[in-house]
Amino acid sequence: MANIRLIPRLDIKGPNLIKGIHLEGLRVVGDPQVYAVNYYESGADELLYMDIVASLYGRNNLSDIVKSAAENVFIPITVGGGIRSVADADQLLRSGADKVAINTAAINDPELISKLSQRFGSQCVVVSIEAKKQSGGKWECYVDNGRERTGIDVVNWVREAITLGAGELLITSVDKEGTRKGFDLELYKAVKDVATIPLIACGGMGCLEDFDNVVKDGGVDAVSMADVLHYNRLTLPQIRSAALDSNINVRQP
Amino acid sequence: MIKAPTSVDLREFSEDVENSETKYGLPNEVKYCSSCVISNQRPNSSVEFQHTSDSKKSTINFDENGVCDACHQTRRKNTEIDWSDREQELKDLCDRFRSKNGEYDCLVPGSGGKDSFFAAHKLKYEYGMHPLTVTWAPHVYTDWGWKNFQSWLHAGFDNYLMTPNGKAHRLLTRLAVENLFHPFQPFILGQKNLAPKMAEMFKIPLVFYGENEAEYGNPIGDNSTAIRDYKYFSGLDKSEMFLGGVSLLELVEDFGLDEQDLIPYLPADPQKLSDNNTEVHYLGYYLKWHPQSCYYYSVEHGGFEASPERTPGTYSKYNSIDDRIDDFHYHTTRTKFGIGRATYDAAQEIRSGDITRDEGVALIRKFDHEFPERFAEEIFTYLSMSPKEFPRASEMFEEPMMNREYYDKLADTFRSPHLWQNVQGVWSIRHPIK
Amino acid sequence: MKITVVDYGIGNLLSVVRGFQRIGCDVQLAAAGEEIVSASRLILPGVGAFGDGMEEIRRRNLEEPIREYAESGKPLLGICLGMQMLLERSFEFGSHNGLGLIPGSVIEIPKQTPAGNTHKTPHIGWSGINKDEVSWEDTFLQTTSPNSPVYFVHSYMAAPPIEYRLASCDYNGVSICAAVKNGNIYGTQFHPEKSGPIGLEMLEQFLTL
Repeated sequence: MANIRLIPRLDIKGPNLIKGIHLEGLRVVGDPQVYAVNYYESGADELLYMDIVASLYGRNNLSDIVKSAAENVFIPITVGGGIRSVADADQLLRSGADKVAINTAAINDPELISKLSQRFGSQCVVVSIEAKKQSGGKWECYVDNGRERTGIDVVNWVREAITLGAGELLITSVDKEGTRKGFDLELYKAVKDVATIPLIACGGMGCLEDFDNVVKDGGVDAVSMADVLHYNRLTLPQIRSAALDSNINVRQP
Repeated sequence: MIKAPTSVDLREFSEDVENSETKYGLPNEVKYCSSCVISNQRPNSSVEFQHTSDSKKSTINFDENGVCDACHQTRRKNTEIDWSDREQELKDLCDRFRSKNGEYDCLVPGSGGKDSFFAAHKLKYEYGMHPLTVTWAPHVYTDWGWKNFQSWLHAGFDNYLMTPNGKAHRLLTRLAVENLFHPFQPFILGQKNLAPKMAEMFKIPLVFYGENEAEYGNPIGDNSTAIRDYKYFSGLDKSEMFLGGVSLLELVEDFGLDEQDLIPYLPADPQKLSDNNTEVHYLGYYLKWHPQSCYYYSVEHGGFEASPERTPGTYSKYNSIDDRIDDFHYHTTRTKFGIGRATYDAAQEIRSGDITRDEGVALIRKFDHEFPERFAEEIFTYLSMSPKEFPRASEMFEEPMMNREYYDKLADTFRSPHLWQNVQGVWSIRHPIK
Repeated sequence: MKITVVDYGIGNLLSVVRGFQRIGCDVQLAAAGEEIVSASRLILPGVGAFGDGMEEIRRRNLEEPIREYAESGKPLLGICLGMQMLLERSFEFGSHNGLGLIPGSVIEIPKQTPAGNTHKTPHIGWSGINKDEVSWEDTFLQTTSPNSPVYFVHSYMAAPPIEYRLASCDYNGVSICAAVKNGNIYGTQFHPEKSGPIGLEMLEQFLTL
């Protein structure tokens, strides 16, 4: 099978790399460029940038950050946060992004997924979902960086997004993110059954075993992580090495 | 008899009215702090049991550069205060009071929110004290608030939870809403009074609160001491006391309350406090307080969980999330002072350096004005004085049952014309922040 | 060293440009025919749908200049969609004609493996490439080790006759054509400018051809 990808996630507010818990209480971690280059040099497979205040200001402000990243980082870059139109996506792709991630705008106007995938190809279009667990083994989609409920069921939305032309799914567990208590495996299992496109897990990575579990039990194709890398609790080479020991295919750069 | 609210005269609220009336003794000109986002309309803490509908507010002070006292206090926190000295003072204080036989040596009032978690945990695990935690119950627990309360105790603390009798609490809340448009008053009364009383009852001579409200704008003089002024929680002359803006006498004679019902709300007896040598200190005087750090601390050490949904009226999910009536508290502050929850949250986070002023302004413009739909029906039911439940009190209200329409009309009567305008039936703040 | 990149309004040019700049090239963007014909080394990038890509190339009158350049014998490298367009036709969203510089068609990546397992498309991620029919000597892969991982992101794949296949990768049991060669004309399905140091090394080797 294709190698499982390791994708550091950089949440950006203004000029800063930030991190929260449950997408709340955002703290400044440092200069995004420094972290991006470091991750590239440690063998990251891709980078994921999210503009955390995009919906507050009504637009994505990451063009400059992405441009700087693309100057020095020669792996794929995905950018999300506040992308509302084909023009927004175009601007970011021209700034050096390879893929765009959309959440709020897609839920408000699902046709946007089709428009983007027809214009740029579905491989450019990542549908990002913030999933919050409800009772009864279901998850609800949240938007606006984990702030607003939508009433939409995650599994149903996944099906719809795929039909509309999404190329990849990025599914973040609001419950687990920032906690370092492991991924929401049930969430990924539930989605795995209906996902015919690659699935990126995000939210909860704390130890090497978490990676193992989310790949083997959760059946995901890529793992995105933030806290555990930003605060240097684990390094990418360590994660890769443990994966290989555990018979998980990962790239050997 | 409490009359149902009548419609206000909208002419006072027209766009171009001059010399508009200013309620509550607020400053006539509206200004915003140039450093954070708080407005000069922010009232200082009241002595609640003297609070009536005629009370005039003292408000936060701005200096000649338009910077508020709370920002000045923050500056001092960051540059002038020697925190290692202060910590040493705390250690000395703890050494003085620490029990030798494991009995409770300090009382920590709290709810299990991030701040009380931090306080109790630090005192026990870092400073070696033996705290007893006490909690004055929220009006109506949120699910996540209850869960966090439990998590707090499971992190290793004994606790007494005082829930005042629901009937009295509801009645007083309704009265506070009618007379003062201040649903939170019964909570605040209990919150301020409970710890000193419990301390006296258990013979614990030391009480630790968290932050001093002066950090948020009470007169800056209040900050120079660790010790909480007795005036906030003690008093003796019952004839001068009011709950929900109603005198104690009327509450018993007209509203069907018992003397016993009033006890939890009444301030402590100053004599007893002084006999017990009760000292009430602010931990925030000794340890540099950063609410967001308390959030991280409480998540890490006790599994505190932010609310699963955004609180209406703000962007935050971890500030003050355990009482369903909280939503309305902030809605009423916005109605009376033009300051909603997003403004309070943003002001604090700007001072703490967590967000920029620009972001704060954008957040306020986005969220401050929201009406708290999520628990509205439940709260209106809570505030309704049905004849079956309140045979005596219901007769004192022209309309004992409350609903959205009643609430909206009542709210209008508390709007100050210098703050609000009504254009074609739509209310808006005259001078929103830019 | 000067290198020319075709700019036809589609795709992430910045990364390709930066990749070559990183290895010391002077990069020229060519939006007009003369710039293409007079180039000494040409890159044809591309991301997105085949039909749209070819339409843009034709609309901007770049098809003939590209053919003319190809006939000159100077090195040409098509990347991703750029590689696909070198072929005769594609069946993505209908049937479209390509540049026809390499025989064969572009077809959908099969959704099922020979063993009957379904797998995901698009093919996104890092896969190791290996020799196919054509030797890697004197190509941009001459210093690449076998099974070197490079970054793929595509739903359609080139299917030229075997003698044009420079490299392939295995995706869950499906053999995917990873690189093509027809004399001076090269193509990579993967993105060397997005494949870290291994990819940058390939770009460097392209400069020696």
